[in-house]
Amino acid sequence: MAMVPIIQLFGIDVVRFSIDLLTLYSLFLVVSLTLNLEAGYAGIPNFGKVMFVAAGAAAAGSASGQLAAFVLMINTHGNYTGYIYQVIPQIDAALTHNPGLSIGILLFGVLVAAVVGAVLGFAASYPAIRLREDYLGMLLLAAAQFFQIILSGYEPIIGGTQGIEVPNVFGWFFGDEIGVRDVVVLLVLGAFALLVFVYCEKVVRSPLGRTLRAIRDSELASRSLGKNDVAIRRKVIVVASAISGMAGALLTFYLGSVGAETWTRVTWTFWIWVILILGGAANNAGVALGAFSFTLLLKAVDQVKFNFQPFIPVDVNWLEYIMFAALLIGILVVRPDGILPEKPTLTLPRSMLGHIMESNVNPVDDEKSQPAKQTI
Amino acid sequence: MVEAFVTDTIVYASLFGLMALGLTLTYLTTKVPNFAYGSFVTIGMYTAFALYRIQKISPYASAPIAFALGAVASVSMYLGVLRILSKRGSSLVALMIATLAVDIAFVGIFGIYSDYLTSRYAFIDSKQFYPIPDSFTLFGTAGIVYVAPISLGIVTLAVFLLLTQSKLGVAMRASVENPSLARVVGINVERVYVFAWLLAGGFAAMSGSYYVLWLPGGITGGSNLIVEIFAASVLGGLASIYGSVLGGLIIGASEVLVTKVALDQLGSWVGIYQKGIPLIIMVVTLLVLPKGITSIDWHRIFVKAYPSFASQLRRLYHSMAKLTRGES
Repeated sequence: MAMVPIIQLFGIDVVRFSIDLLTLYSLFLVVSLTLNLEAGYAGIPNFGKVMFVAAGAAAAGSASGQLAAFVLMINTHGNYTGYIYQVIPQIDAALTHNPGLSIGILLFGVLVAAVVGAVLGFAASYPAIRLREDYLGMLLLAAAQFFQIILSGYEPIIGGTQGIEVPNVFGWFFGDEIGVRDVVVLLVLGAFALLVFVYCEKVVRSPLGRTLRAIRDSELASRSLGKNDVAIRRKVIVVASAISGMAGALLTFYLGSVGAETWTRVTWTFWIWVILILGGAANNAGVALGAFSFTLLLKAVDQVKFNFQPFIPVDVNWLEYIMFAALLIGILVVRPDGILPEKPTLTLPRSMLGHIMESNVNPVDDEKSQPAKQTI
Repeated sequence: MVEAFVTDTIVYASLFGLMALGLTLTYLTTKVPNFAYGSFVTIGMYTAFALYRIQKISPYASAPIAFALGAVASVSMYLGVLRILSKRGSSLVALMIATLAVDIAFVGIFGIYSDYLTSRYAFIDSKQFYPIPDSFTLFGTAGIVYVAPISLGIVTLAVFLLLTQSKLGVAMRASVENPSLARVVGINVERVYVFAWLLAGGFAAMSGSYYVLWLPGGITGGSNLIVEIFAASVLGGLASIYGSVLGGLIIGASEVLVTKVALDQLGSWVGIYQKGIPLIIMVVTLLVLPKGITSIDWHRIFVKAYPSFASQLRRLYHSMAKLTRGES
């Protein structure tokens, strides 16, 4: 059986640390890329990001288990969340020997999450394309708050505050070995994050991406050029929300459970904004870098926290809140454009631009530069 | 004994009126929705909680202390974060995310403080606590049922007098209407804004200390109220102080009353949707009446609805006017 090696460095299990780091990084990267698409490129400040991620997570967690119970003909007594502790072990036992069904349920869950995210995004786009930034921010923040209350209060979806367990769709792969499962999850999440990154890069380098910036910078001017700003913004919100929902679904499958308490404004709205501001809005590479720096910082603090908690009288989590808030305000003051600020998009490939520039260079200069090269 | 939902309505509506008034004051000056406003309310909650549990001081007596603490927090947030950022030319979104950051930092501070209370005084409920017992009752109802609306009335009257009768108030209105023109005539706009933030933080903390006499409080107790506070402020038009008081009253009252009716008619399962009411009011206001309730031209609506009655009234008015001018 395959085993994940254990390498100790300064008392920290490096492999374990890296796997956790990269898993969290993939998730943060996906969600912050979608926020970048909305807030960075399209100029829609989404202060309710947590709602879309949580919606995907809840929908996937609930629907995948119910589908599995239905397919495997497990009796849920018509009350799935109520009998969750009897249903899930049966599903998991069956899934261990059934890779096809496992993958099917994973894909189904992610698909449901995407649909739910898209529907919520479509609903949110109605005010988003009509309201000013400040009104929209208030509305989405309030809506996310309300959504969280419903998640924790309405039991049929994910059992309220208690939460529910989710089928272990990675169980068939090398059985129950914890370390290996995490590697598989990391590969799935990493592939997904890479896909989303490539997609976002393609979008922002396409004519659509340039139109987005045009609308963001001057709605009136882009409208006068015949761009349908309403339709384009709606498209961006729907796509971004669907991807956010999928990220939530994948996290749910990774954790193996979903509860209303996991989805806090701090983690999935505020931290995502910190990543965006830290890395640089409207720059996907910057966001990728920002997400990595942030996740590294977060995990490092977690390690320190773990080692130092006995010596500090208060819960170190609170210090984390204050630290990241200070970090964000610090960036806004010192470097408001982030690590990698927004760059103008080159509309043609670099090689072609180089070619054009070369052909435009004065031939006299070319001749002058020739002998200089020969002397070297 | 008055029915519970009546007293609930009175307390809830008055407190949200007070909170919305403060939020509108900050919005008027800096034009940024202050996401940290809920935490100013929490400051009041913890002031009341700590002083009651440690010193047995009634929240009525500690309300001025809460006011002072809230004012200090509010002013330091304005001077320490928002003014620095806006001087550097930060965008509106950057300022909004900064206020969200301040809110998160406040939650961290409350967390640390509640941990301190737990370790120092062994208050196991310091993260989430039940309402503090009221210190007096009148005609069989708790004191807060009288104190909350009276406080709202006094505060609204005081703000009205300040804005209309005092030089500072006139300067405030001028700074809100047209900051550059106000500077030209020699008004220190910055000082005026600081004063507005001071009042806003004070009102928030004061309402927080009253709030825990009626409802449970906790670390995120104030932050969780932002749905109602924003809804109230938006309903009031975000630009009108009296509108926000009215908005707070409507939001608070409708939340309690609609929930009561729904609970009676549909059963206890609707309870969790309570916060949906302010949210729906907010959405409808933003989409139908973006300038808020004070922008409704009641006169025109009245004329449209009852044209004949209105024209008779107008005729009556004109003849009265003629009479008073001495033309028969």
